[in-house]
Amino acid sequence: MIEQYGGIAPMSDLILLQRLGEILKGRSFLHVNSTRKGGGVAEILQRMLPLLQQLGIETRWEIVEGDARFYDTTKKMHNSLQGNYEEITAKEWKHHHEVNMENAKKLDLDADAVIIHDPQPAPLIELKKRGTWIWRCHIDVSNPQKDIFDNLSKYCKKYDAGIFSVSKFTRALPIDEFVIPPSIDPISDKNRELSPEEIHETMDKFQIPEDRPMMLQVSRFDRFKDPIGVIETYRMVKKYNDCILVLAGSPATDDPEGAEVLKEVEEYAADDPDIYVLMLPPFSDIDINALQRAATVILQKSLKEGFGLTVSEAMWKSKPIIGGAVGGIPLQIIHGLTGFLVHSVEGAAFRTRQLFNNPEMAKRMSAQGKEHVRNNFLITRQMRDYLMVWHSMENKGQNVLTL
Amino acid sequence: MGHRAKTDREQAQNGPGAKGNGDCAPASPFAFNQCTSIIKSTGKKASTLKELRNLVAVVTTESIFHHTYQYFLKGHMLEYTNDFAHWAGANLEESALAEQLANIDPYAFADIEELRGEILRVLDNYLAMCPETRKVFTGDEFYFCETITMVCPVGVEARNMAEFLMALKYIDSGAIYYHFYEARTRLGGNTDDFSKWFEDVHAKGELAERIRSIDPFMHNIEGIRDCLTTLIEDELRREMEVVRI
Repeated sequence: MIEQYGGIAPMSDLILLQRLGEILKGRSFLHVNSTRKGGGVAEILQRMLPLLQQLGIETRWEIVEGDARFYDTTKKMHNSLQGNYEEITAKEWKHHHEVNMENAKKLDLDADAVIIHDPQPAPLIELKKRGTWIWRCHIDVSNPQKDIFDNLSKYCKKYDAGIFSVSKFTRALPIDEFVIPPSIDPISDKNRELSPEEIHETMDKFQIPEDRPMMLQVSRFDRFKDPIGVIETYRMVKKYNDCILVLAGSPATDDPEGAEVLKEVEEYAADDPDIYVLMLPPFSDIDINALQRAATVILQKSLKEGFGLTVSEAMWKSKPIIGGAVGGIPLQIIHGLTGFLVHSVEGAAFRTRQLFNNPEMAKRMSAQGKEHVRNNFLITRQMRDYLMVWHSMENKGQNVLTL
Repeated sequence: MGHRAKTDREQAQNGPGAKGNGDCAPASPFAFNQCTSIIKSTGKKASTLKELRNLVAVVTTESIFHHTYQYFLKGHMLEYTNDFAHWAGANLEESALAEQLANIDPYAFADIEELRGEILRVLDNYLAMCPETRKVFTGDEFYFCETITMVCPVGVEARNMAEFLMALKYIDSGAIYYHFYEARTRLGGNTDDFSKWFEDVHAKGELAERIRSIDPFMHNIEGIRDCLTTLIEDELRREMEVVRI
């Protein structure tokens, strides 16, 4: 399976993965998060697990499950850690803790290395018996609501190490903090090459015309992704370029606000026949891939972002990309080289028009973007980094390790 | 450049476990290694020039190493030559300071403490002239990081120039970084593993000199690959022409 990445991923990543696999062969590696479907974390874990197992590392994936109250609380946590004001009562914090302890009764948390993803399962650290425990934060916590982060960091401080997606997300915690960007899988259904027939099939299924330039944003229906701003952008562009807009997202079981935001978006789109709002079922990977490959320009106009992997997805498909200058997006979009960073609806509209009207520039940027993703944002690099953190935590104090 | 006082990083990379080609025996093939780094946050950040100066004075040598020597691992646009210069130019918008910091050659110093001293001298001079620089926007602060580096063999060896040329064309950028940039901190002096091998093993002093004259600051890693390829192809062509005569 890992051989499939030869000629796609950088050879140096594959060599190091193989070497680390030899060193960590037979050891146990556990990942815990709160959903098996929807969102970037679940998506990458689904792909990463079999690859790690193939390297000889005994890798497992567990999830914590909760009731509606638990997800409401963790959604508030998520929002407030990204800077939106929320109130979480002492009772809600207690419920968050209790749900985790209840889950722990049925989970096997014994492993040589454990990665706990995001705030939902963070309290599980209290049950650590052995191994290296790492808290993996996928959220932009560069400007969190202080009281919420303080409460959460009571758990974070107990881990052996933390992993953040971007250096500016790191916090002053008394533990080792690593910076590891997330990644995409170039051979998954979401990103593999598609035939023209496969692309047409998706376009036919959603009755999307292929005769005009297409703007696309793929993201959860979440206010931080600014879907309303994308519609405003489209309306500005439409004055100059006849085009269509597709907004596509999938529901996630840990996101109770999704339906509400979708309703707002549909109302705002009103009866414009050139706006296509698609709520795709989970595992619509080939459809998302096809939509991205059919698009002329792809937007990720987020106002807050953990990392924004849809940017790398678009770049991997050699598509010109416009992204909000937030979270991990500036790591992926080098402004003017691999895409455009924008700070407003007006900026997004201007750059869309620029790309519509300069196909040569769009092509050049797209090619540079694909190489940037190949070198920095593929799953093999992320697996390599996780294993490097694990190995380095078992060799603490050494800054250079010869393998 | 005089004797270099070795840092922990330099000593570790010259240790018995490392098979860098700087210490290969005569007639030995060139064994390609690669190095890969993972970034670790120090938890320290600066939002003004004064804060940057005060933190440069106290952060670990590893952090100074990362923000200077390892700049070329990051695939930046080649507008500056280290992270301090990049931040001064792009975020503080102090272009003159950015230029002065970019002019610092980290390989011209005996050790990282001397390099730190030079960065501080430039920052202090600038602060004396322009004490009121702006504060950057939230999120644009300078985040001090360091790295943990893992070195491992690529599994490719070259016994002669033709094999070396073939390997050079297809080897990953991490190997070129290791032998061209990282080697300078291991070997000391303005030299690298490639030129050392050509000189020591193949008695190609002129080629070695031409490799050493490649300006490491004017190219990204792919640019270095192109320069090396051109030099070695030229050398091979000359050799073949001599044989024909």
